[in-house]
Amino acid sequence: MTVLTDVLEPVDGALAAERTLLAGRALEARRLVVDMAASPRGCHLGGSLSVLDILIAALHRASSGDGTEVVLSKGHAAAGLYAALYVNGTLPENPAPLYGMAGHPYTGHPGPKVPGVRFPTGSLGHGVPYAAGWAMSRRLGRKPGLGIAVTGDGELQEGLVWETCQVAAAQRLGNFVLVVDRNGGQNDGMVADVSPLPRLAERFAAFGFETAEVDGHDLTALTEALSGDRSGATRPLAVVADTVKGKGVPAVEGKAASHYVTIDAARAAKWKRAIR
Amino acid sequence: MTAAITEPRPALPGRDAYRDELTRIAEEDPWVVCLEADLGGKNHPFQRSHPDRFFNLGIAEGAMVDMAAGLAVGGYRPFLSTFAPFAALRAAESLKLTLGYLNAGVTVVAPYAGVSGAWFGTTHHCLEDLAVLRSVPGVTIAAPYGEAEMRAVVRAAARSGKPHYIRTGRNAAYTSLPGQDGELPLVAWDSTGTSGEPCLVSVGEEGTRLALEARERHPELAHAHLVYLDHDNLTRVAAELAGSHSRFVVVEEHRREGGVAEALALLMPRCEVVGVNAGHSWPAEGGDHHEVLARLGFDLPAVLSAAAELRGPDH
Repeated sequence: MTVLTDVLEPVDGALAAERTLLAGRALEARRLVVDMAASPRGCHLGGSLSVLDILIAALHRASSGDGTEVVLSKGHAAAGLYAALYVNGTLPENPAPLYGMAGHPYTGHPGPKVPGVRFPTGSLGHGVPYAAGWAMSRRLGRKPGLGIAVTGDGELQEGLVWETCQVAAAQRLGNFVLVVDRNGGQNDGMVADVSPLPRLAERFAAFGFETAEVDGHDLTALTEALSGDRSGATRPLAVVADTVKGKGVPAVEGKAASHYVTIDAARAAKWKRAIR
Repeated sequence: MTAAITEPRPALPGRDAYRDELTRIAEEDPWVVCLEADLGGKNHPFQRSHPDRFFNLGIAEGAMVDMAAGLAVGGYRPFLSTFAPFAALRAAESLKLTLGYLNAGVTVVAPYAGVSGAWFGTTHHCLEDLAVLRSVPGVTIAAPYGEAEMRAVVRAAARSGKPHYIRTGRNAAYTSLPGQDGELPLVAWDSTGTSGEPCLVSVGEEGTRLALEARERHPELAHAHLVYLDHDNLTRVAAELAGSHSRFVVVEEHRREGGVAEALALLMPRCEVVGVNAGHSWPAEGGDHHEVLARLGFDLPAVLSAAAELRGPDH
């Protein structure tokens, strides 16, 4: 068992407690994702593990109850979302044994039958305008809270993403936040080989976004990036989070082949032991 | 002093009636919001009356439909409008997810349906929208004829909070059928016809215009006008139609495939159903609306011919 105090730098007071809490959730969630890879269905392992820390931080912000809504636009990372929703207390049951099974809502791409999920995603691009529309509803009602879209970098090849960025900037949607899980991979290989996205942060800036670039596995940095009260902001925010595909499982870290994985129970047990 | 001469105001085209009615509804309903994709025109009445709830999102149809989903889930009742080809075809996946799977209370109003874009050409025509939308479960589909019916459909959509797709034409205005001010009947019977005669079933603006003209020529024909065209409504319509007639000519500005005639033929297997429609070819030439329709074989002679064929050689 990992002793968190062994791996974390000491930080003061409430921040230290929050960091410990979130780090613990991330570890537990990673193990659940591996369990889902060991299910009869297998799962999108690499992207679920790369996006996990982003989801843990974003859902933590949403759990403050201020009306923040997190939309996992890269819906193929459903296993990561289910795991993150479970460890933050939103799901009433462990989704791993039920993932992909008949009669249960934990499908390979998430839909609104899953507690905590409001929008169907997985057909890439749509989660971005869903979150922007949510942000618009909050602003229209003069209510706090963010619309947070979590995308993949491969997903940014979809025109709908940029269509929405254009609209969000024009509408001065300051409470809309787009987080890019930049793990560098996509279904058929590496983003850099298929359809590269150079100068990504500059692209968002050119659209009129505020931008931030963070380590996508640094929970403190992610929490800080997503913690602001943006009710007075007039420019949407893009957070480009650099991540590692398959993060946390050394056997698959950084490998494009980790995109979709089905493993047996023995390998799952070994990989879970390696998660630190 | 000379008394002012007041004349009845001309009927509004469908899309103008929609804009005006929605603006009125929004006076009472603060949750109604209006979205446009750069095709709402200048001086939009909703924008003038409720500028804080009017959003021209620019040329971004997919984003508009999906953002409407976000607004609906956030508690609002979005009405959005863009031309039918861009709504039903370009944003088809968004309609499937937003109107269908999510069942969001979003109403899509789609002018330029059929070939009402006339000389604007093939890119601006939409003869496929009923086929696409009818296959998405849970969407109420309406094709109102005339100003009163459009107003009634928009009011019903706002009241229901359920997903709606409403198709209309470009700028043509049609004289409303009588009795369209209250709740619309499932089947508006213009005439039940002479016993044993075929029944014209009219759909949408041009379909209904042609059916009315055919009835003027042959008053013995029955004529049933439909406004709601989704599977659930057509199932109920079919029960009513089949209870009174056995031979039908369905007149609709749509392709043969996926249109209302095809649906009714399946829903009324013991009846004879033929369709007069825009067929299977591409409307690739200029002309006004009626000229383009005629090139597609959708005109009064086609309706009369179809009715005559159903009546048989003795007539």
